[in-house]
Amino acid sequence: MIDVKDIHKSYGNNHAVNGLSFSIKDGECYGLLGPNGAGKSTTINMLSTLFPPDSGEININGLDAKKNIEQVKKILGVVPQEIALYSNFTAWENMLFWGGLHSISADALHKKAEELLKLVGLSDRKDEKVKSYSGGMKRRINLACALLHSPKILLLDEPTVGVDPQSRNMIFELIEHLNKDGMTIIYTTHYMEEAERLCDRIGIIDCGVIVAQGTLEELKTQSEIQDVIVMHCTQTPNELAITTKLNLEVKVTDHTIYIQTGDSKKDLTRCVVSCSEAGYEIHHIDIQKANLENVFLKMTGKQLRD
Amino acid sequence: MFKILRKELKSFLKDRRAMILTFLLPIPLITVFAFAFGGGNGKGTIDKIPLLVSDEDNSVLSQQTVTDLDSVKLLNVILCKYDSGINLVKTGKRAAIFDIPKGFSDSVKASKKFHWKLEYDAAESMEMGMLQQLLAQGLYRGKVVKMAGEKMITNSIGAQFPGMDSSTFKFVFSKIKENFGDAESDTSKKSSGKSSGGGGGGMGNMNETMKLETESVVSAELTSPGLVHAVAGTAVMMLLFSLTGMGGSLLDEKEQGTLKRLLYSPIHPSQIMLGKMFASILVACVQLTIMFTFTSFVFGLKVHDKILPLALVILATAFACSGFGVFLATIAKSRSQLQGLSTLIILSMSVLGGSMVPTFIMPSWMQNISCFTLNYWSVQGFYDVLWRQLPLSGILLMRLGILLLIGACFILLSFRFFRKNVLALD
Repeated sequence: MIDVKDIHKSYGNNHAVNGLSFSIKDGECYGLLGPNGAGKSTTINMLSTLFPPDSGEININGLDAKKNIEQVKKILGVVPQEIALYSNFTAWENMLFWGGLHSISADALHKKAEELLKLVGLSDRKDEKVKSYSGGMKRRINLACALLHSPKILLLDEPTVGVDPQSRNMIFELIEHLNKDGMTIIYTTHYMEEAERLCDRIGIIDCGVIVAQGTLEELKTQSEIQDVIVMHCTQTPNELAITTKLNLEVKVTDHTIYIQTGDSKKDLTRCVVSCSEAGYEIHHIDIQKANLENVFLKMTGKQLRD
Repeated sequence: MFKILRKELKSFLKDRRAMILTFLLPIPLITVFAFAFGGGNGKGTIDKIPLLVSDEDNSVLSQQTVTDLDSVKLLNVILCKYDSGINLVKTGKRAAIFDIPKGFSDSVKASKKFHWKLEYDAAESMEMGMLQQLLAQGLYRGKVVKMAGEKMITNSIGAQFPGMDSSTFKFVFSKIKENFGDAESDTSKKSSGKSSGGGGGGMGNMNETMKLETESVVSAELTSPGLVHAVAGTAVMMLLFSLTGMGGSLLDEKEQGTLKRLLYSPIHPSQIMLGKMFASILVACVQLTIMFTFTSFVFGLKVHDKILPLALVILATAFACSGFGVFLATIAKSRSQLQGLSTLIILSMSVLGGSMVPTFIMPSWMQNISCFTLNYWSVQGFYDVLWRQLPLSGILLMRLGILLLIGACFILLSFRFFRKNVLALD
């Protein structure tokens, strides 16, 4: 569906995108995860044909995006990072305007707008000016406006920035619903929990390059990140004795034992039993699941929200 | 309180735009206004006022009249043929033509009644006041009037007292001349404030004998030129401000992200520009129509018999002003920069182009510059239609053409800067 090969984009001496390659299958939800300035928006802008890459190839639905701008634009829906709406217009007026830019009949447009307003939960407030909406409501309309022409592919550029939990959840549900219906989605974010929840595969982007990509499990394997069982004891345990007993990587600081495991569910009982048998009294247990934050930190050496 | 004061000054000094608007922007505006209103050449003195002179008599006396006028310090006498001169006045290119009719010399020699004729464009009424004053100075203090007066006195004494001896004649002549001289200067003073009628002659029927006739080239019962100026000048200036504001929506769209979203959709970038441009033209046409309709109903501006030419001038003005508005928006980097730029440029253009005050009160070099402003061509176009009543040909078509050309140039430049400045999104 989408094939990106070795694309580059520079602004003067700043290499915003520096040899990016990835492929997305039909109906897949692909996440581009990276900190601010990593090159996510530049990538989205190139995919949406706003400007071409300096070099490299972008192929969308069998079309060369550099040469078939008009055709590519017709199958793309883009949700920009900004709330790109006319605040003096009502939600309904905004939808009719943005939908009207595509060749849709008036009847079909009205029907689609009604349907989308229902999906984003704003049917009853469609005649209010957008400027009177909360940030979350604006975000929901911002997303709905990109769906009026029923695009095959949806590009979302950090669509939940500054959104309240209720609206965020509504946006997630809508994206999941669209994806389930077969829409191909590219989702950029710097929130790992969003990528974890929504995306089938994730590309970790940093300094204009994809440093790793795959499913969450694949990324964990690639980065060799494991779950950690944390046990708080009343005494200071003997690190060597526990390591020998469990045959896992163990670290002890003060009264706390950190045990790295590939499968925390399976090893938890064994760890608790071993420590009890060794005479350590455990008063609290934590399980730190391997997540994208650890993966990102391991892959890039940076915190995602730096 | 002092902390607040210090903070305010500090933030003001850090705001470069505010500094420019506060301290630098007024300087060019003051300069333009000073040149326009402050006596012309920037040195506190007044530039010469041009006066077309048509010498149809082409005699020694008529040439002397021209020399008399040329000796007036503030008059710039330009000799021309009557037909070409009157055409220049009718088309608003010159304020007035002074005509010395054929047979002038014979009338003077025969002590018959004679008159000079000053035909003028009433739209330039302020300049006319000054011209009449200067003409009276040149004519009634000149050699021709003096000679005609002496001839008249001699003939008059000879007719009333035939056979008078030469010494008595000389005495009577000198006494009459003395009185005539006094009256002459009085007359020149009196004539200064009048819009028409004779100037000269203190002795008996001199008033009727040497007369400066003044006549407007446009029928007197027509609309006041001041009213035409008020509506045309103001309308164009306000239009420029409002259309620059509309053009500025391009920058708002860029700042708010809607421009980027428009570019995501399957429309060509040039369609965005053209859409904005046509919206501006439409708004401009409606705005101008409302202004002229209001002036027509409330102040009695007669427009009903000039609908077509007026509509064409409105359309050409709307086109040029819209082009200007969008052009300014494409060269500005932000809304605030656009605001500063538009204030400076529109006010300067309005002063120079005759939106605020008629161009004739400016020094000649400024009048030449005014031709480079959009306001000038538009205001003159409205004058042509509403005051000069010119047909839809010749000079009026030329003015319409220039307005369209100005608009087209601005649009072409706008496209260039739109791609370079506005579409440079990242």
